[in-house]
Amino acid sequence: MDDKALIDRLKEIVGPDYVLSSEMDLILYGYDASLEKARPDVIVLPDSTEEVSKVVALAHKEKVPILARGSGTNLTGGTIPIKGGIIVHLSRMDRILEIDIPNRRVTVEPGVITLDLQNRMLEKGFVYQPDPASQKVSTLGGNFGENSGGPHCLKYGVSTNHILGAEVVLDDGTVVWVGGKSQDNPGYDLTGLLVGSEGTLAMATKMVLKLMRAPEAVKTMLAVYETIGDGANTVSAIIGEGIVPATLEMIDNIVMRAVEETIHVGYPLDAAAVLLIELDGMPDGMESKAEKIIEICKRNNVREVKLAKNEAERAVLWAGRKGAFGAVGQVRPSYMCCDGTVPRTKLPEVLNKVMEAGKKYDLPIGNVFHAGDGNLHPLIMFDDRDADELKRVHKLGTEILKICADAGGTISGEHGIGTEKLKEMSFIFSESDLQFMRQIKKAFDPHEIMNPGKMLPE
Amino acid sequence: MADFTQILDGLAGIIGQEPIKSKPDVTAQYAVDNATPKAVIFPKNTQQVSEVVTHANRKNLAIVPWGSGSKMAMGNPPKRLDMVVCTSCMKHMTDVDTENLTITLEAGVKFRDIQARLATQENRCYLPLEDLGKETNESICSDRANSGCFLPIDAPFANSATIGGIVASNSSGPRRLLYGLPRDIVLGVRFVAPNGEIVGTGGKTVKNVSGYDISKLMIGSLGTLGILCEMTLRLLPLPERMETLLVSYGSLSDASAFVKRVFETQLLPAAVEVMNSNAFTNLKMGSAPDFGSGGYVVAVALEAFEEAVKRMRGEMLDMARATAAKGDASIQEDQHRRFWLAVSDLFPCLAGRFSGLITVQLNYPISQWKEIIEFADNTLSTSHIEHAILARAGSGLSLINFLIDQGNTTAMNKGVEAIGTLLGRCRKAGGNLVVQRAPTELKQDLPMWGERPSDFLVMKRISEQLDPAGIMSPGRFVGGL
Repeated sequence: MDDKALIDRLKEIVGPDYVLSSEMDLILYGYDASLEKARPDVIVLPDSTEEVSKVVALAHKEKVPILARGSGTNLTGGTIPIKGGIIVHLSRMDRILEIDIPNRRVTVEPGVITLDLQNRMLEKGFVYQPDPASQKVSTLGGNFGENSGGPHCLKYGVSTNHILGAEVVLDDGTVVWVGGKSQDNPGYDLTGLLVGSEGTLAMATKMVLKLMRAPEAVKTMLAVYETIGDGANTVSAIIGEGIVPATLEMIDNIVMRAVEETIHVGYPLDAAAVLLIELDGMPDGMESKAEKIIEICKRNNVREVKLAKNEAERAVLWAGRKGAFGAVGQVRPSYMCCDGTVPRTKLPEVLNKVMEAGKKYDLPIGNVFHAGDGNLHPLIMFDDRDADELKRVHKLGTEILKICADAGGTISGEHGIGTEKLKEMSFIFSESDLQFMRQIKKAFDPHEIMNPGKMLPE
Repeated sequence: MADFTQILDGLAGIIGQEPIKSKPDVTAQYAVDNATPKAVIFPKNTQQVSEVVTHANRKNLAIVPWGSGSKMAMGNPPKRLDMVVCTSCMKHMTDVDTENLTITLEAGVKFRDIQARLATQENRCYLPLEDLGKETNESICSDRANSGCFLPIDAPFANSATIGGIVASNSSGPRRLLYGLPRDIVLGVRFVAPNGEIVGTGGKTVKNVSGYDISKLMIGSLGTLGILCEMTLRLLPLPERMETLLVSYGSLSDASAFVKRVFETQLLPAAVEVMNSNAFTNLKMGSAPDFGSGGYVVAVALEAFEEAVKRMRGEMLDMARATAAKGDASIQEDQHRRFWLAVSDLFPCLAGRFSGLITVQLNYPISQWKEIIEFADNTLSTSHIEHAILARAGSGLSLINFLIDQGNTTAMNKGVEAIGTLLGRCRKAGGNLVVQRAPTELKQDLPMWGERPSDFLVMKRISEQLDPAGIMSPGRFVGGL
């Protein structure tokens, strides 16, 4: 089947208005939030599971690569059509299908924007916990594919702990349900396997998510440090004392400066780093825990600890954290965010090594990261029009991931592998580990049409 | 069995004679349902497990993994069985990193020993271990300086279960309400795949999206996709305060009114367990309050900061008194630990008293618990089957024990029929059912894994891809996988 025939068939399935193939469209769907670019053959925008199923079945019959896309906020090339083929853009499937408060579940389509759902739920006094920094734009389907994290994962876990079931389209167009509203279903935990599989095994068309009661109380603090090491030591010490906050986020001087230039949060620009600490849950006992945290901060040479007095002050402190990636554009035109994760206690040591590596390659590195999880996000800042600089960026990125792997950590905490970290998979996996994963891929997708070329090095 | 002797000799050439036991007095103790293995292997480490499985794969021998044997009543009888691979010699706690709140263990480590190791220097422990002060085991006693944590799982068979078995069977207990399931707590696993290769996935970090989340696939796969050898799990600091509130009610409706109120608040109990009188009176603990016979007891576990526990106790007592409670009691710390151990261990304990015991796990959407329990109670009462019910309100799960004596075939036949009825009811609610334990002779008549799920076709494809010869626990799992 040539391209023309394929496009005609797709138009029959979803209607002519929902198939895109102009030169402009092919360029627009050829990039995402990563540094990678490629070119699809055609884009379809289905409106139902049935349409997705027919599109996938067609791709299967014609052996054409196919991948699903939400808002394209992923940072590792997960939605780049490196082998061409069909992009299934799920933005039309953006319905919240059922809000089931008695069962603490909500059923959604994959195109729903994460924050939109969270705002709707909050009105009812409930929370869908995973809160990736891109939540204003990212879709829940993308969160499913990438197993997104976020600041609150320290206490509540990542997306996989909150996605309990899904309707998925298999490689040949067959539709099945994995998991569901009830837990403990007999059989293999396919939901757990599919979340974070980067669209390489199946395509989710509906998802059942877990709701939790909104916490009764929240306490947010900002601790200011003269050295980044003191901040990192505080993180381990708090948890060592038996307190597990909802979040422990660190922002260093470079990033604070960038943030201040764009959104004016009031970060102390003469400090080396700040730690954003948030406790949530029942208010009882929270006051004494906050005092204990302040005491721990003092033991670790904190300059001062500011307490958010109200929701408005809290929102300001968070705005800086959530807007950090965007603000970094103020410093240099492009950035690459490494996503290595290490056991929390290794943070001070690993941060030092990362900064040294930055000096070695003569590239500025900003740090804004989930310190409580040991999830680093060194932002390498550069100008992608400078070919030599770009080359050094990739080398530095690899070196940082090696530092994390050697410290007993991993190469990705929440952004995924995509195309960006394929070669670094060998830092943490043996050939037999990878072979096992390839067998899984083969069980789902023997013809390798589902988002090919991602996650598993060939 | 000349052939098999040769096969064992071949294996002895690789791993030595010592880990291989084939005398009938040993093999008889490792029978899986009615199938007795021809040999039992006790590997010393992951590498040896790999060598055993590679050998078995070459000779097409069927293997069933075994920890302490506490979950062997689960599942269908194996289609075939040549060797049991027992992990009891693999009991190193490889990396106890309490500062990082993770622990890495070999599969044969006993659950009880993990909690003992994590206790404070003053012997404050998540389990009620009276003998902890006299403990001499080096791996438990040494280096407890920075401890005071616990592994947030309260699985049944707390004293005998191994961590490998708990993970392989995805076991949980009442306090999953607050702490989650093994799927939320396991961070990484190393296992031997059916082809004998050692495969590792995950690690020591809570966040990890490098490659497929194979750990999830292995958790609860009951030894059909490989043998779990090592695993890393999340720990939590020991709760500052532990208490239990017990409230008794004359009827399920009254009890459910209380439960409803509790879940309407933002309070965070660790467990809300509703039990009928048969369950409560059979709990094996020293001094349970006497609430008389009949009715239901709601037990609420409170594990939190001192101040939060105090407030929860106060508010919940008010709710209890506003909802026709017949009586209430509050128990603390060691008593609390003994109580919840008794709840987790109810079905193992009943198994010792009722040799024909059938235990069924019902799962369903959370809000359905009362209707399901009411239905189960009616069904079993109509069939004149004595039953002990534990309903995990808030978690969408119940355990129902049919108290049947061995040889009572009338009750057994009625029990089989009742399970069919319960399965239908759970399916209607969007749930399913698993038979956790049943006499072997009944298994062929029972839906051991409930109704086959719609994604079974994918499960089958995975199983065929990973274990084409069907040597790993063949037939024991869902749909005969």
